[in-house]
Amino acid sequence: MAQTGFAPVADPARRATTGGLSGHWAKYRAGYLFVLPAFLLYAVFMIYPFAQSIYLSFTDWNGVEATKGFVGFANYRRLAGDDLLWSSLGHTLIWVAVGTIVPLVVGLALAMLLWRRPRGFTLFRTVFFMPQVLSSVVIAIVWGWIYNPIFGILNRGLDGIGLDALSRGWLGDPDVALFAVLAASSWAETGFVFVVFLAGLQNVSRDLLEAAMLDGANAWQRFRNVTVPQLANVVNVVTALLLIGGFSAFDIVFAMTGGGPANATELIATYTYKEAFTQNRIGYAATLSLVITVISLVASVVFIRLRERGES
Amino acid sequence: MATSVAPRGGATRAGWMPPRLSRSGGEIARYAVLLAFLVVFLLPILWIWSSAFKSSIEIARSPFGLPETLRWENLTEAWTTGRFDRYLWNSVIYCTAIVGGVVALSCLAGYALALLPLPARDAILLVFLLGLMVPFQSVMIPLYYLLRDLQMLETYWAFIVPGIALRLPFGIFLMRGFFRGLPPELADAARLDGANEWGVFRQVMLPLATPGLATLVVFQFMFTWNQFLMPLVFVQRDELRPVSLGTMFFFGRFTADRGMIAAGVTISMLPVVLLYLLLQRRFIEGITAGALKS
Repeated sequence: MAQTGFAPVADPARRATTGGLSGHWAKYRAGYLFVLPAFLLYAVFMIYPFAQSIYLSFTDWNGVEATKGFVGFANYRRLAGDDLLWSSLGHTLIWVAVGTIVPLVVGLALAMLLWRRPRGFTLFRTVFFMPQVLSSVVIAIVWGWIYNPIFGILNRGLDGIGLDALSRGWLGDPDVALFAVLAASSWAETGFVFVVFLAGLQNVSRDLLEAAMLDGANAWQRFRNVTVPQLANVVNVVTALLLIGGFSAFDIVFAMTGGGPANATELIATYTYKEAFTQNRIGYAATLSLVITVISLVASVVFIRLRERGES
Repeated sequence: MATSVAPRGGATRAGWMPPRLSRSGGEIARYAVLLAFLVVFLLPILWIWSSAFKSSIEIARSPFGLPETLRWENLTEAWTTGRFDRYLWNSVIYCTAIVGGVVALSCLAGYALALLPLPARDAILLVFLLGLMVPFQSVMIPLYYLLRDLQMLETYWAFIVPGIALRLPFGIFLMRGFFRGLPPELADAARLDGANEWGVFRQVMLPLATPGLATLVVFQFMFTWNQFLMPLVFVQRDELRPVSLGTMFFFGRFTADRGMIAAGVTISMLPVVLLYLLLQRRFIEGITAGALKS
């Protein structure tokens, strides 16, 4: 492994004395050939477009004209005064916060309840995870029906238990639409969190828990001081995945409300999509896509730091 | 532990009940919560399935009741007018090509980055790590124009090629992790026996990485089957749409006929739900390992 990070071919003295290039090739040929197909595809369809996104953000291109007008930082200056961007960002923050906390809490609770594999374990696990295999379009249509003011089972259920005052057109009301979509999203995500916690709990020491019990710790103290610390790593992973996915969330919102009513469920990702593919403001949309990218990157880096600190 | 998370039943009564009774109180509370969530997760799905056999009027009149008569014609009509045969077939093509591509390229690169001598290994890893951290939106717009210029937008390649490329970072880090867990002495022994590098990889190391392979296949299959934004942007022709996208356009065309929509949604979810029920342990293990090891 000593060769890593240093390319002998760059060293002219060595190339001259040891037959350099062919020696280098003989030594690393297999490595190069194994990595090359993946790297080429990745370079052309990931790195190159990524660089192009940065370039486009400095233009006012509309996607049609042959020339892309260079506008400097104009798109970036426009971000500050774009009310729709700021409201989308606000919705995205709510989305990330609620969409992380709810699946985390419910998923952990369900995993705790099934930790010791009580009777019916397989049935419960199979059902709790099931929404996770459904596509977001299916989830959006099913939940759109649940919320339907005319025949939806939510209003029917509320009427049935005498809470008809709460009935409403859930997706048509700007005050509740975002949370209605969040409920659907959390319904789908919880199963994922649940199975990961279930796996994490297998590594929690029962002996420690029994020792704590003998020392007189009550159930909450055992959970808080013995179980949770041993789960810290799993909590970190799950939180990070939910956070990073949350900032670029698009599918279920687009399929359920399209960002409406009155932009009440517009997230930064749905806003970017519209700017790019319905308004054809490619330059500005590229700038917005970089805003999502930067936020996601910051979230990832913060998470990696936290995990490193947790491991050391 | 039941009382710690379900205090409603167990913990409050524990104060005055004899230990054995409080324990069964805890069990009752545990099952009350579990059954409540069973209903929450199952009811919406069962409701759609039963609605698939009802008329629009019946759906509105008795949403919770079982269908009066099984209207199979909803399903057959949704199947043909909704073109689900086409959409499902497209999804099979996309999944086969993308899962195959991601697995093959990730195994090769992951193996080299784990076990073969390679200059600038850390730099290559860093470049792939970037792809793991940035969202699809960071490349979405230029990628559309790149695919247009390569004249791929009207073909299956519009989803297949970027579908593979953008998932390589995940696949490579996952497979690298698995290969790093194998003893490198095995490879050295095979080399001493005269095997070339391809033989070492193919005959010795790859078979040992089968659990990792299974994880990647499950993870990537689920991801691709349900992928939405990428085909929405890149797949332009209706006859090339995967089932996730086809379902949305089907829904847009038939909003009035509720029995038919329920039938379409049922058709759309049935293959993957059946697959899940058949292989549920593999699904859950794959997703768990993929989440924890990447």
